[in-house]
Amino acid sequence: MTQGLVAINSWTFLAQMLNLLIQIVLIRKFLLKPIKEVIAKRKAISDEELAVARKSRAEAEAMKAEYESSIANAKAEANDIIQTAQKAADTRGEEIVAAAEKHAASIKAKAESDIEQERKKAVNELKNEIGGIAVDLAGKVIEREISEKDHQALINEFIENVGEAS
Amino acid sequence: MDVDITGAKILAEINVPFLSKYLGVWQLTETLVVSWIVMAIITITCIILTRNLKVENVSKRQAVAEWLVELVTNLVRDNTGGTKMDWLIPLVAALFSTSVISNLISLLGFRSPTADLMTELAWAIIVFILITANKIKSMGILGYLKDFTTPIFLMTPFNILGEVFTPISMACRHFGNILSGVVINALIYAALAVASSALFGLIPGAVGKVLASIPILDVGIPAIAGVYFDWFSGVMQAFIFTMLTIMFISQAAES
Repeated sequence: MTQGLVAINSWTFLAQMLNLLIQIVLIRKFLLKPIKEVIAKRKAISDEELAVARKSRAEAEAMKAEYESSIANAKAEANDIIQTAQKAADTRGEEIVAAAEKHAASIKAKAESDIEQERKKAVNELKNEIGGIAVDLAGKVIEREISEKDHQALINEFIENVGEAS
Repeated sequence: MDVDITGAKILAEINVPFLSKYLGVWQLTETLVVSWIVMAIITITCIILTRNLKVENVSKRQAVAEWLVELVTNLVRDNTGGTKMDWLIPLVAALFSTSVISNLISLLGFRSPTADLMTELAWAIIVFILITANKIKSMGILGYLKDFTTPIFLMTPFNILGEVFTPISMACRHFGNILSGVVINALIYAALAVASSALFGLIPGAVGKVLASIPILDVGIPAIAGVYFDWFSGVMQAFIFTMLTIMFISQAAES
């Protein structure tokens, strides 16, 4: 038993409508949805990897900047240290030189005063001795009695002359 | 020799309680059974294609599945402009695959479900419902009704006819192409059988009688006609029906 070549059949019509709707659901469930999910998953993974790469790049750049700044800091610090040390050394050297100069000056001053003292002492000693010698000599050369007064005046005059001569 | 070209075979008649009062006896036709076979083929293919999907290192199977999905997605998006009509994708995929497999299943000796007008009419009515729903959605019910009176009121009957004949023309276009293939195939088979028996009947004696009773020319030669009527026309009509569906619905949504 067959249908006509062009037949109207409400059952077939309704069933074919239903079949198409079922086919839509089946194709969605078994083809479109799983493929969409896997593509979305792939996209999520690549997005995530991209984000991670971006982040690590930013981190690397930050680290590089930090490293460079710390290097620059270290250099500046080293320069500072060197400068401070140089300055300290300079000051210290100057101090030492100044102290040495001062010391030398004091030694020189002391030596000078010692010399002066010694000189004065020697002059005094010489005065006394020469006074005695002069008196003796005078006594012996002149061999005459002179008054103590004349005597003393003579001595003083002599000493004065010696003092001027020395 | 008589050539008898008929519609689908009726395999069973089932009296469904209650529903048969309105729709008549349910005739289980070849159309329905082959439709179910087509649906099974499509669904099993989908399941096989999407088995054990992976994110990386995709198999050839998965590559084909992704390519198909991308193809139908791009077809819809290129013709509707953007992603706002993505809900059409499952419909388009189902329509195209069902249509192509239905048209080509005649190569396996089945009667195409698409050689039954009811199949195409059912699809076209679903498309028509979607067209109308989208028109009403974008214009409002009053705007939709008012659209029939444009450009002048006199055009109203023609506009209504144009609207109603959209699904009918879609259905008949597809059906007519497939039916013509069925008819011409039947004619070619019959003609070649006659030619075969006439040709081999020329051989004298018992050999000629035996050979003349076998339609030898029917082997291979109809396949040449099948290249156009089954392959080309089958794929072409599926494509046309799908494209019209996309066009009409996207137009309706934009009106």
